[in-house]
Amino acid sequence: MPVGRAKIGIFFLCVGLACAVPPLLAKKKDKPVASAGDQRRALHALNRLTFGPRPGDVQRVMAIGVDQWIDLQLHPEKIDDIALVAHLEPLRTTRLSTKELAEDFPDGQEINQIISGKRAMPTDAALRMVYQIQIDRQLERKERLQEAKNTNPAVADRASETPSDGSTMAPGSSGAGKNASADNSAMNAGSAGNDAAADANTRAVADTGDAMASTVPAKPSPEEEEQARRREAQLYTDLDVQQLPSLSPDERFKKILKMSPDAQRSLADSLRGGKGPEFLEGLSAKQKETLLAMNNPAGVVTSELAQAKLVRAIYSDRQLEEVMTDFWFNHFNVFADKGVDRLLITGYERDVIRPHALGKFEDLLVATAKSPAMLFYLDNWLSVGPDSAQALGIPLHPYGPYGGLHPPRPNQGKRPSGLNENYGRELLELHTLSVNGGYSQRDVTEVAKVFTGWTIDKPYQGGSFKFDPRMHEPGPKFVLGRRIKPKGEDEGLEVLHRLATSPQTAHFISLKLAERFVADDPPPALVDRMAKTFLKKKGDIREVMTVLLHSPEFWDDGAYRDKVKTPLEFVASAVRATGAEVDDATPLVRQLNNMGMPLYGAQPPTGYSMKAETWVSSSALLNRMNFALALTSGKIKGVKVDVAQLAGSNASSSPPADSTVTLSALEASLLTGDVSKQTHDSITAQINGSKTNGPKIDGAQIDKAKIDGAKSDAVKSDGAVNGVPAKQNNKAGASKPANSARPPDVSTIAGLLLGSPEFQRR
Amino acid sequence: MSITRRVFLRNSALAVVGTAAVPSFLARAAMGAAAPGTRTRRLVVIFQRGAADGLNIVVPHAEPQYYAMRPSINIPRKAVLDLDGFFGLHPSLEPFQPLWQQRQLAIVHAAGSPDPNRSHFDAQDFMESGTPGVKSTEDGWLNRALRNLPAPPQKSAFEAIAMGPSIPRILAGLEPAIAINNINDFAVGGRNPKASPVANTFEAMYDHSLDTVMHGTGEETFDAVKMLKAADPSQYKPAPGADYPKGRFGDSLRQLAQLIKANLGVQVAFADIGGWDHHVNEGATEGQIANVLHDFSQSLAAFWTDLGDLGEDTVVVTMSEFGRTARENGNRGTDHGHANVMFVLGGPVKGGKVYGRWPGLDQSQLYEGRDLALTTDFRQVLGEAVARHMGNKNLGTVFPGYDNQPGKFLRLLG
Repeated sequence: MPVGRAKIGIFFLCVGLACAVPPLLAKKKDKPVASAGDQRRALHALNRLTFGPRPGDVQRVMAIGVDQWIDLQLHPEKIDDIALVAHLEPLRTTRLSTKELAEDFPDGQEINQIISGKRAMPTDAALRMVYQIQIDRQLERKERLQEAKNTNPAVADRASETPSDGSTMAPGSSGAGKNASADNSAMNAGSAGNDAAADANTRAVADTGDAMASTVPAKPSPEEEEQARRREAQLYTDLDVQQLPSLSPDERFKKILKMSPDAQRSLADSLRGGKGPEFLEGLSAKQKETLLAMNNPAGVVTSELAQAKLVRAIYSDRQLEEVMTDFWFNHFNVFADKGVDRLLITGYERDVIRPHALGKFEDLLVATAKSPAMLFYLDNWLSVGPDSAQALGIPLHPYGPYGGLHPPRPNQGKRPSGLNENYGRELLELHTLSVNGGYSQRDVTEVAKVFTGWTIDKPYQGGSFKFDPRMHEPGPKFVLGRRIKPKGEDEGLEVLHRLATSPQTAHFISLKLAERFVADDPPPALVDRMAKTFLKKKGDIREVMTVLLHSPEFWDDGAYRDKVKTPLEFVASAVRATGAEVDDATPLVRQLNNMGMPLYGAQPPTGYSMKAETWVSSSALLNRMNFALALTSGKIKGVKVDVAQLAGSNASSSPPADSTVTLSALEASLLTGDVSKQTHDSITAQINGSKTNGPKIDGAQIDKAKIDGAKSDAVKSDGAVNGVPAKQNNKAGASKPANSARPPDVSTIAGLLLGSPEFQRR
Repeated sequence: MSITRRVFLRNSALAVVGTAAVPSFLARAAMGAAAPGTRTRRLVVIFQRGAADGLNIVVPHAEPQYYAMRPSINIPRKAVLDLDGFFGLHPSLEPFQPLWQQRQLAIVHAAGSPDPNRSHFDAQDFMESGTPGVKSTEDGWLNRALRNLPAPPQKSAFEAIAMGPSIPRILAGLEPAIAINNINDFAVGGRNPKASPVANTFEAMYDHSLDTVMHGTGEETFDAVKMLKAADPSQYKPAPGADYPKGRFGDSLRQLAQLIKANLGVQVAFADIGGWDHHVNEGATEGQIANVLHDFSQSLAAFWTDLGDLGEDTVVVTMSEFGRTARENGNRGTDHGHANVMFVLGGPVKGGKVYGRWPGLDQSQLYEGRDLALTTDFRQVLGEAVARHMGNKNLGTVFPGYDNQPGKFLRLLG
């Protein structure tokens, strides 16, 4: 490290000299010590190691010293994160164990077990309410099915409509962000008698609306019978329900628990899709969760998880740790909306990913291999060796302890009997060696055999990893040219060790890290050095990151603001840049759905791409611009921005005396003064154009404006905007002059800056 | 283009369908009148995500094996909408019947990807990249298909559209494509006229920006926004008789029709519909698959009606990453299979026929003893659409690694 520092010192001097001095305000005068190069280094470090600088961050980093700050970030345990704790407080479910989650937020399987008497109802009154509603809905479905079957014998008799193996998906729309959009197609059966069973699968995604839902509001269309029945009960329960908001929170909750099941159902309906906030007003986090769980238990969990992710990205001081957690989650992607994974991801991120984010790769790899979330997602928990005891229906040990022969245990088609190669393939292709890592189809099959038996104990009750010898394929395996002795669970550990220490893995991981932190196409020399460190330091991620973050390539001028922000990075950085207060992260979660990056919603195991081309499309751009404008003008519910404060001296949000001063102030606070001339001029033009009935720069005038814009940089007081004559005003589609007379207010200017090309990059 | 396909209009067919439902171009063709003016050939690709159960969609009701293998989830012979005595449509596909009778709807059965992969993710990826088995292909075949198109007089911002929040794999690539989630949101600051100065400022920012990527995308975006504004989508009403069902898929197609009719130069378009992965309780004439098929067919039929005359130059192809097991499983559903059914709908389509060779459902005829076997590669169907309808004969770049012989086309386009 000391050697590197000397080199870095010389380097940054050169960088400092080579840098063009960006226009700065009075701040420059106040800190004579800080050079422009120093500031740029700090900004670059913040851009790459965090989810974006907050007001004052650059100064803080420079005060500590950029290198020291980086080293601090590499040791998150040295950073206390007290501020974050308060923000995470209401998101209770993020702190519960998977077992507790399964109990409090029952999945379809659990409900069925209670109906069939295999499990008892919970004793807690609040839980009972949640369970009862799910049970009632389930029984109603069965009733309807029975009726339908009686009228049409071709209809199958349904015992349950939730999948028993969890491999059903509600796949949604496109490409990189194949999100689990609420598939309403199954919900729109018009005629009576159509089965609403399909609702279950899709409603799970649609209901609480926010975690995974698409932009189409999910309104279930109840069948006519259901409606009629409800209408009756409605008359009696409406009064009950309507009186609730007038009660104090504790009274209200007590009353709710005592209401009739019909009244409770009615209340549940009033809460669908984010409606009925008056019922939740003032309730404790746990109470709110209980009420929301009436409609969609698992949805409460995934919603809080997504909110927590945004809250951490925005408020955590252990920024690098959060970025690394995001990186590793994406690398070891699990899709939250696959069956019971909805309840497993919370623990996965908290207990498997984050603790190892800057630790040893092999530890992380083994932890993911054993995690119920991954075992379920890639179906390994069902994978059975073709010659295993289970597949052959023979007892594992043919002779009992006293020498008696065990009877055969034929596999009566209830237990899975096939080898599943999904995990084996993705382990090699996506987690370690990479697609070009030199493995064959045979290796995939052999690895799959190695991992047979790696399964979950009681997956639907929040159980943990279990090795089941009956499912395990007996005999030796041949993986990547080496023979693996038959030794049960240890075979898997051996394979994981070999993969974690392979040069291909070292290269692949280094490449992905360099992609995320340096450039979409990182310099091969850097990747090589990182890979060498990976191997030398036995997969120590912190060591590899140290090499990366102190490398000349990282600090190269070309790397500055070179990467395009993903939607998550854009939204988080916009909120951070404005220093906004987030009371409710749900609208932000929804924004990410709109932008095609639903959190925890990447369907394929490849996770989300971190490359520019994925995220730069016209829809994306419009979304970003619109989000920026909405954010700064206070239109994002739950997010409070004080734009006036950002603008410094102008203490009101109505058109200030001099918009150009405001512009400079905002440029300094939102973009650290590093704004391109083009952006600055465009906004200035709007400001000036509004001072008279000047023309808007639209369509056909662009070229002319481009030329003139390059010539003029002074603010003209006579209203001529960049030489474009005032008379070219009445183009088709141009807005009325009256509207342009008002100068853009502070929030609009801020919105323009956050939507600028510069802000899309980091 | 003179209409050379066999337009088979028996009086009785017209009587069943009703003259109102017959697009005027068809009527014109019957009268022998000249076909209408400018020709922007359009290809619309619909992806059924989740592996749709082809055997329950176009039912081989004359196959006794079908009933033996699916005791609880088969479509009874009397419920099926017969097509040709051997195949029949699932009753929920009733909106397709007139299209079949008018010879605009063709079916290809036992079609799909030859790759044995039964992973949703991989198989969808392969079908969108157009290179089954190859994971390293970065772009999509529909994007590559745009590359050598006979250029229309003006390259439009709306040349390639994906209905949804982001560009899907199938349209990823060098050619510019737009993703539209909601036409009404496709503007800066909404439709509020006060937003105009802001929109203009943004436009200027991006136009002048030295950041090439942002500049390029910005240009695309604002061009598209302006074109859309000029087309005045707020005044749009679907054509009479175009009854789109509620829901995401119906919405997508309604907006797509709107965009096509707004004369924005749409050449290729993509939309998808999920909800097909019926491992459990698939249902038969009622139930999950019936519901989604109802949405599917009603949306497409409404789309077709809505397009009206523009259907003459439009071809719609549907696909799904693979089919499902021939036998039902232990959960009254089906598992991942192999070959599937594709629909091809369009003016130039020689419809009213089931194309491809039916391999049969006897045990020995099944793929790996469990699935419908493949007899038509999906690229044969798509290749014909790209080469003969869109006019891009350079199929080697669209489907690299495939033997794109025109001789292998099914000749379902006239």
